[in-house]
Amino acid sequence: MNYLPLQIIVSIFVTLIVFRLTRKYKDSSLKATEFIGWLVIWIIVLVVFWLPQTTSYLAILFGIGRGVDLAVYIAILIIFYLIFRLYLKADRQQKEITKLVRNMALNEDKKEEK
Amino acid sequence: MKIFIIIPCYNEANNLSAVINKVKDYGQVIVIDDGSTDNSYQIAKDAGTVVLKHFLNRGQGAALETGDCYALNNGADLVIHFDSDGQHTAEEIPKLIQPIISQETDVVFGSRFIADKSNTPFLKKWLILKPATAFQNIMLGVKLTDAHNGFRALSKNALAKIKIKQDGMAHASEIVEQVKLNNLKYKEVPVTIKYNEFGQGFISGLKILRDLIFGKINR
Repeated sequence: MNYLPLQIIVSIFVTLIVFRLTRKYKDSSLKATEFIGWLVIWIIVLVVFWLPQTTSYLAILFGIGRGVDLAVYIAILIIFYLIFRLYLKADRQQKEITKLVRNMALNEDKKEEK
Repeated sequence: MKIFIIIPCYNEANNLSAVINKVKDYGQVIVIDDGSTDNSYQIAKDAGTVVLKHFLNRGQGAALETGDCYALNNGADLVIHFDSDGQHTAEEIPKLIQPIISQETDVVFGSRFIADKSNTPFLKKWLILKPATAFQNIMLGVKLTDAHNGFRALSKNALAKIKIKQDGMAHASEIVEQVKLNNLKYKEVPVTIKYNEFGQGFISGLKILRDLIFGKINR
């Protein structure tokens, strides 16, 4: 099968993302570790699309039949992890909102007393 | 002795005035209006109580903690948590606080099951409350006959140590946990709960469980 069109589309997509990441890194809105982490992930995506056989070696190493299966398993794991992180972050923000609301309520009462 | 009665309230305009009138003889009433969209705030103000207003609805646990902070800052010797929906019986307050006044314990929990006069709905009792009590007793290593009964009293010592971080309904289990962790003395006193409606259902129970688990992870 000819994957070339897909490989080109993915490459353009990844290039755009890496371009954006670099800009964010230069703006200092991304830390060096975050920048490198994301860069590695997107380079892996490129490698997987241009050299699909590499995933097969890894798959055999993990005892999984096909390289594509391994890629799907890893992708699902990463997605679950990111959802979990997001949940924790949302929960922390909820707690911060509560603190804010509480302080406002208590300060408002102090003002009224004066 | 400075006694504060903390009443968290969310859209309770129908019951609030009657509840305040019943409890105000027993101590200084603090109403926490937890972002109500009805005129609960005004009703509490007109009743001459201290009203703390949450601009956003943050949940009963959050409202109770705001009340506890206020009480602590204003030199409370004893704090009572009381529901705004008229489920609790004001006349039982002296009985509830007696063990703290006599310095027998730091925390008193109301229990609807010691002398069961509450007519708890059968399914609620056996499908929700009793399993929740068993779970709480096993997980926290306490011996209580009731769970998630919001009628409780805390001494000054307990008030300084217990910090409610659970904004939602899971605060009730969290308080029990903190009592245990801080080695505070506790006691149960029989109270009567008047059931206006079913209250917390099975789904709320699951939400409480979820909040407790994530609360542990996200400290």
